[in-house]
Amino acid sequence: MADKSNDPVAIWQTMVGEMEKGFNSFANQAMASPEFSKVVNQVGSASAGAQKQLGELMEKYLVSMNLPSRAQMIGMAERLQSIEGQLNEIKVLLRQMNAVSGMTQDSVATAPKPPRTKRPTTPPPSGEPK
Amino acid sequence: MNAAAGLELAGLDLADIPGRIQSEVERAIQRSIKGVEYFSASGPSLGSTPKDILHARGTLNLYHYRPVEDEIYRVPILIVMATTNRGYILDMVPGQSFIEFLLKRGYDVYMLDWSAPKPEEKSLRMEDYVLDFIPDCVRRVQQDSGETDITVIGYCFGGVLSLLYGSIFADGPMKNLICFTTPVDFREMKLFQNFADRRYFDVDRLIESVGNVPPEMILSSFEMLRPASRAAGQVQLWENIWNDEFVKSYRMFDRWATDTLPLAGEYFRDITKDLMWDNKLYNGTMSVGGRPADIANIKVPILHAVAEHDHIVPYDAARHLIAKVGSQDKEEVMLKGGHVSLVAGANAIRRLWPKLDSWLGGRSI
Repeated sequence: MADKSNDPVAIWQTMVGEMEKGFNSFANQAMASPEFSKVVNQVGSASAGAQKQLGELMEKYLVSMNLPSRAQMIGMAERLQSIEGQLNEIKVLLRQMNAVSGMTQDSVATAPKPPRTKRPTTPPPSGEPK
Repeated sequence: MNAAAGLELAGLDLADIPGRIQSEVERAIQRSIKGVEYFSASGPSLGSTPKDILHARGTLNLYHYRPVEDEIYRVPILIVMATTNRGYILDMVPGQSFIEFLLKRGYDVYMLDWSAPKPEEKSLRMEDYVLDFIPDCVRRVQQDSGETDITVIGYCFGGVLSLLYGSIFADGPMKNLICFTTPVDFREMKLFQNFADRRYFDVDRLIESVGNVPPEMILSSFEMLRPASRAAGQVQLWENIWNDEFVKSYRMFDRWATDTLPLAGEYFRDITKDLMWDNKLYNGTMSVGGRPADIANIKVPILHAVAEHDHIVPYDAARHLIAKVGSQDKEEVMLKGGHVSLVAGANAIRRLWPKLDSWLGGRSI
């Protein structure tokens, strides 16, 4: 039987695992420095600003091309979501009405709720009502 | 010494070599076939336990999972998901779903899950989550279940929101609180602290520029905690691509991990200033919407599950929770695993889920 410590595949896997750990550890040390925070935040801030300007430019371009802008699409999605929400509310109400009237069109939705009488198989914890 | 003897001495059995070569060649062929399949097929369907949407409003979704047992515990559970990630981490696939486990153990389960906040929801603040969304869901769970008492389970930052809710609404209706990997001392989240160093991180400018914090930024900050892990994970995937179970599991977790949500701008500003900079939850000076939120006010039974190798919420950031709450009936349990494997996957099935059931069952009657 081949010894696992000499198995080339096992050696390779161990090596990848160790390299991952080593690199993560090294990177974490580097990232813990204030200099890293300074550089990352400078880059992040510049990139966020650029992203905002690009978004505004794109918005203008889409308007000039007579295409729906992101804001308009979001508005549409909002309206759809609102309709979806209202449909869900109606569905819940219908289910409750069906349950009250005993209708059984949708057996799952109108199935009677199970009784809330279950007890644990293990004894209740100390301090809790038995 | 001849070559054969050398190989034997090196621990390689010559008789094994042909079998080993054959096995590696077969795997190489399987890698090529499965590699093509990997890119052409979609991953497993996640979050498929039958559920109904009880309520949806903007970023908020309240689900009720359909009970599967003939008899259930009196006290329903409301799970509050972390605002950065999707709730299906707790409902992966049958056999690996925490929700399914709870249903089969006779619990009545609701989940407060989040959609990506829309640009116009950038003004949502911490108070919207703690004083509006959670209480609204609690009322709806009470109405739907017909029960007053509720067990709240919060995962990661969902745990922070649950703690804030519990400390403000200390007189009920929360009967039990379970937190998974919930940070309290934000000074101990060392790398996040450094990313958000107040000398260099201009949160006001960021929010003014982007509105909501983009998911890519959230994902990058998580990935930067272990920068080599994504590449190493892909190497592991390639090595194991012949193994359907490995690939299925990889796809599930990878999809979830990269399915990060944006954060509402003002909410992110509140988190940065109150928690990351001023560490108010730990100091006992936190307030939400002008209402004091000291976790010492929490008196209900509480279980805090933490992970031994959590790189996102290190133990030092989480360990003060149990000491600081005012409950008499409180327990911290440290389990093997990381931030995600604590709650999902083989590790969770073996460790956390049975522990939670044995703790909660007696407190749910």
